[in-house]
Amino acid sequence: MKRTMSRSFISLILAAAFLLGLGLLCLRYVKDGDMWANQTYNQHLAFGKGLSGAGKIYDRNGTILAQSVDSQRYYNEDYYTRLATLHTVGDGSYNIATAVQTARRAQLVGHNGIFGYGLPESLRPKGDVSLTLDADVCAEVYEEFAGKKGACMVYNYKTGEVLCMVSTPSYDPQNVPEEIPEGAYLNNAVSSTYSPGSIYKIITTIALMESGADIENMTFTCEGERDFGGDTVTCLEEHGEMDIYQAFAWSCNIAFAEAATTAGAENMQRVSESLGVTKSYLVGSVRTAQGHFDLSDANDNDLAWSGVGQYTNMVSPAYMAILCGAVANSGEARLPHYVQGERSGTTRLMSEETAEKMQDIMRYTVSDYYGDTMFGGLTVGAKTGTAEVGEGKEPNAWMVGYSTDAEYPLAFAVVVEEGGYGFYSAGPIARTAMIGCAQSLGFEG
Amino acid sequence: MTQFMVDVAVVGLRILLAVYALIIIYQCFASMRRQKRQEAPLVMLYNSTIRKKIPVLCWENLIGRGKGCDIVIEDPTVSRSHCVLLRRKEGWFINDIGSKSGTRVNGRPVHGRHRVTIDDEIKIGSTTLTLRRGEEYDGEMRHHWFFSRVSSKPSVSAPALIFLTNLFHLFMAVEICISYEKFVLEAFEILGAVVLFSWVFYLFSAGVFRRSNFELETLAVLLVGAGSILLVSQDIMDAWIQIIAAMIGAAGYLIMLKFIENPDRIVNWRMAIMIISLVFLGINLAFGRMEFGAANRIYIGGVSVQPSEIVKVAYIFVGASALDHLQTKRNFLEFVVFSALCVGALALMGDFGTALIFFMSFIMISIIRSGDYKTSVLALAGAAFAVVIILKFKPYIAQRFAVWGHALEDPYNAGYQQSGVLTYIASGGLFGVGVGNGILRYYGASETDLVFGIITEEIGLIIALAFAVVLCGLVVYSRAIGTRSRSTFYSISASCAASMMLVQASLNIFGCTDILPLTGVTLPFISAGGSSMLSSFGLLAFIKAADERTYNRSKRLPQR
Ligand SMILES: [Zn+2]
Repeated sequence: MKRTMSRSFISLILAAAFLLGLGLLCLRYVKDGDMWANQTYNQHLAFGKGLSGAGKIYDRNGTILAQSVDSQRYYNEDYYTRLATLHTVGDGSYNIATAVQTARRAQLVGHNGIFGYGLPESLRPKGDVSLTLDADVCAEVYEEFAGKKGACMVYNYKTGEVLCMVSTPSYDPQNVPEEIPEGAYLNNAVSSTYSPGSIYKIITTIALMESGADIENMTFTCEGERDFGGDTVTCLEEHGEMDIYQAFAWSCNIAFAEAATTAGAENMQRVSESLGVTKSYLVGSVRTAQGHFDLSDANDNDLAWSGVGQYTNMVSPAYMAILCGAVANSGEARLPHYVQGERSGTTRLMSEETAEKMQDIMRYTVSDYYGDTMFGGLTVGAKTGTAEVGEGKEPNAWMVGYSTDAEYPLAFAVVVEEGGYGFYSAGPIARTAMIGCAQSLGFEG
Repeated sequence: MTQFMVDVAVVGLRILLAVYALIIIYQCFASMRRQKRQEAPLVMLYNSTIRKKIPVLCWENLIGRGKGCDIVIEDPTVSRSHCVLLRRKEGWFINDIGSKSGTRVNGRPVHGRHRVTIDDEIKIGSTTLTLRRGEEYDGEMRHHWFFSRVSSKPSVSAPALIFLTNLFHLFMAVEICISYEKFVLEAFEILGAVVLFSWVFYLFSAGVFRRSNFELETLAVLLVGAGSILLVSQDIMDAWIQIIAAMIGAAGYLIMLKFIENPDRIVNWRMAIMIISLVFLGINLAFGRMEFGAANRIYIGGVSVQPSEIVKVAYIFVGASALDHLQTKRNFLEFVVFSALCVGALALMGDFGTALIFFMSFIMISIIRSGDYKTSVLALAGAAFAVVIILKFKPYIAQRFAVWGHALEDPYNAGYQQSGVLTYIASGGLFGVGVGNGILRYYGASETDLVFGIITEEIGLIIALAFAVVLCGLVVYSRAIGTRSRSTFYSISASCAASMMLVQASLNIFGCTDILPLTGVTLPFISAGGSSMLSSFGLLAFIKAADERTYNRSKRLPQR
């Protein structure tokens, strides 16, 4: 009997293991419960049942972007504001991943670990959410797109707060159309990648610096076209002889094809990766679409074109804003977020020295080429891009950059699909967005 | 304002339900701990060689030189395991189990079970033990920790416990009335059936069969009732099947208690039980139809039966034995062969969850019987090898393993059930969304495999965990009560039956919550299914039988 009983101790081990398992379940419940509840298929959150009693969504100025009254969900009264904030506020569906009505529906509806969704609507503590966006600026920017597809993002590279994030095409969440425009569920600023074209010259320049070249004393010569690796690279103009500042400001393809060749494939690949082109970054709780830069199958001509951003290069607008923010912030990137109260991490993309040199070059482009009036007197460094996408389409227009004014530490990225020439198409949107966001921070200009 | 008051009342009821479940379960276990057990020695052995009084505490005692013996005799002429002193209805027996020097009673060598009476002299090796009355022992007695709060009266009487449980079920039925007006009648019909069941069960147990105590049964009724009422708005037929199965199960429970009253009778039935079980499994293999990836059920006149559930009870029968039979090699060998056949048949059916339950029970029983960890490790290694083979040839099973731990990454295909459970567990919170308001109930096979999720979603995590803890508590109780069982048959079978239920509960609870791979087994007493209900009650009978008093009250009339 004694032997049997002492051996049956194994049943107590089993019982202990069982209790440990229950403990693990409880731990996971506490840690991941909100995430479990906030799944798109959760019928407790389905339309009507879910948002009819959900909390309000505000912008940074306290403007109500969405609220529930008498079991109905109402969005902002202004049509353009509704369309401009669709990808950050969301609609009744779960189709827009970056929208807070998707990503934070559990919080909005009043989910908590104690009652789950078990509380009747009248007793539910409603979770309000405040965004860091300025809805008026977003609406202005949306109008500026004038029906073109694309994205615009402006964020404070010191705090990480996104002030403007607009993606087009969009639709009205108050009166959801029967036919959703193609691609409207995607927040292009974060979830889409585009061919970068000339804006990739920022990365090529840094690769050239990191390869050890003395860029201050380098000169480039452009005769309109040149042979690289047995094929030609063409430029829009015959720029003649120039230094790196002029080459960057004039966006000379020959100069940057030469820069990429001088830096070499290894440096181009390494610096692209260390700068995070191929990484995915957190914007709030969503991840940016990974960019693309891969020279593993590239010949010398491909390498040359990659320096101009016209090989297989791909980047997302959010990444470009993060990169520009890092240039302006001495090489350290503060990751963006668009819900107040969230905290963003930082990551160093380049050395302080590199960042300062890059600032000089990007600043020269605006101060000596575009002129400071373009941004209403803000101290802006920028780069435009015109990315050929082939197939008889107009090129994608880009403008990316930052302001270094201490009170308006803003980085931006604008892309307009089939916008044509970058400066003329993306420029006005960047101007509206930057001046609007700076005004939101107290700028008078 | 009135709506607000109604809402407050609804939430209040849910919180009350959780608190109330905790009270009932606490009272049941507290009452079990207070039970007065026979603590005085049954008889005493007087070792006249060294003038030592040895209390005999158990009905079956191994005597020998070995340290693990119940009565250790430090005498080099005594074998390590020398003989067994056991008590039966007829009195005390001594049984030599193959010692070198033999056993003599009053000078005469004995073989097989030999009756001994007070003042008989038992000679083993060069030691003489005299059988004396238990009352003559004057040494200190130790209490088992579980029963450290012994009191003459249970903290709550059995009828009061049943009444408390009835109230719990009433609250659940009221919740249905709040959420679904059209189910009011059904809810109260099922509630009525549950109440009737609990009282008839009690009357038969205490009145007709004169069994003492009703806490174990109350816990079973609590779980059965909760499971049935959860089924009301899901499938009223299933709810009725659940109650009827519980009634048949309870009847079987009482009959089984009677059947295993004599631990020696079981030996004669052992071979028959083995053969019948294998025939059952054979029929299943021959006629079972593939459903949900396993062919583990047959249809008899339109009624679905899972033979493997009934074989679970038989398996414990075959595994456990009285102490003197336990020592024979043949007994163990039969058990090993029987285990291999059972596990093999279940694997052929594709019912890997149940195969795993049998296998875990095999490991457990063989360790308790032989203390041989090496064999068990070897068996585990063999099983791991078998699992690899299975995964190779059954892609359906492999898919379940692939999604294990990552269910939420694939919530629409392979991880559909588990992610549903997690989402709706989190939606239910600690107090649930109310009986009938859940979403998980609309998932396929949710009333069996995902029932833990349904409980959590509808009546809350607190109650779900409390129900799980009940099954865990049965294991602890089985071991505590087993120290004074009338035979090793009871202590082994109780521990193993409780463990079997717990293994099954683990596979169910942790399977659907993505902590273990989902194997699709039932949660004892709660999951919908008649066969599962019958086997749950069958296993519970082993635990009840391990309590020495179960068979006492019929002779010594009520002691208050
Ligand atoms: Zn040029």
